[in-house]
Amino acid sequence: MNGFSHTVAWRRCCRSNRLAQIVLILGFWLAGEGITRATGLPVPGAIVGLAILLAFLGNKWLNIRTVRRGAQWFLAEMLLFFVPAVLAVLDHPELTGILGLKILTAIIAGTIMVMTVTAVVVDLCYRIRRSQGRC
Amino acid sequence: MLRDNGLFQALLWSVLTIGLYAAAKTLYHRKARWWLSPLLITPALLLLIAVAAKESYQEYIQGTHWLVALLAPATVSFAVPIYEQRSLLRRHWPLLVVGILTGSATAMGSAWMLSNLLGLDETVRLSLLPRSLSTPFAMIVSGDIGGVPSLTAVFVVITGVLGAALGEGLLTWLPLRSSLARGALLGMGAHGAGTAKAYQIDEEIGAIAGLVMVLVGLLNVLAAPLIAHLLPR
Repeated sequence: MNGFSHTVAWRRCCRSNRLAQIVLILGFWLAGEGITRATGLPVPGAIVGLAILLAFLGNKWLNIRTVRRGAQWFLAEMLLFFVPAVLAVLDHPELTGILGLKILTAIIAGTIMVMTVTAVVVDLCYRIRRSQGRC
Repeated sequence: MLRDNGLFQALLWSVLTIGLYAAAKTLYHRKARWWLSPLLITPALLLLIAVAAKESYQEYIQGTHWLVALLAPATVSFAVPIYEQRSLLRRHWPLLVVGILTGSATAMGSAWMLSNLLGLDETVRLSLLPRSLSTPFAMIVSGDIGGVPSLTAVFVVITGVLGAALGEGLLTWLPLRSSLARGALLGMGAHGAGTAKAYQIDEEIGAIAGLVMVLVGLLNVLAAPLIAHLLPR
């Protein structure tokens, strides 16, 4: 009885409180890291954590409302988490010269290729499937 | 005296990073121009300050690596959009798989070819390969295949800023019929920035772009040990 009311209180807390959801997601991450370390899986702990969370959601062991706001926070603020890594440019002054222009060229040309090929192939497959009446 | 204090420095750089990020976001909220994108403005301002203060990357990252560590729980959070888009995934998985496989092959192939063409060295080349992925995935893949993850983060940001604009242009040029292809274009080519752009165009295209971005990241992370093995040295 007491255990049940505890669960209810915990759920209510998680559904209304973003901080509790953030802590819960941190828990899934740590579980993922733990499993990776213990089993020596060649997969990063964060990915294992993602898989566990997805399994919890898919099997309805966890309601989406219990983690949605926390997850949205992590994803919305992701830029803040990788901005420090971008400062690595400080260690690469050579990037401001000709090398930087070459890299920029590679990124622009490469991105155009990736976008064009992906979109055209998907669109062609879509038309084929459609003509077969499969979507 | 104070400058030698590690804790003080860590606090200073963390507060500065978070503060600039928050300010850039507020500014972008008021005035949404691509060159005001926080993705561009935040690192640019931080770089200016770091150069002016003669700060090295080592010193800076020592104080702020805890922020980078939060990319891991952000990765875990991708489970939520995957779950929420499960009906889209169930309906269109064959096309999504096709898009992700073609996109990944093109991303890696083009980076390889262009790097050779432009005479870029091995480190830069390997760090360029995962540039189309969302940052947390890209940094993992980069480390796995022998690139420099922080250099990859730089390339990912450039890809995002330019890719969102390039993608918008390509969408008007290419005769695409399905929103599936439009979403795949933006999610595959310009990860998070492309997905944000896709949501501005249309809710459905945005959802597809987001799903493609997550799935392509997952596929590449899982395939990274294999890719590292296959890469010609």
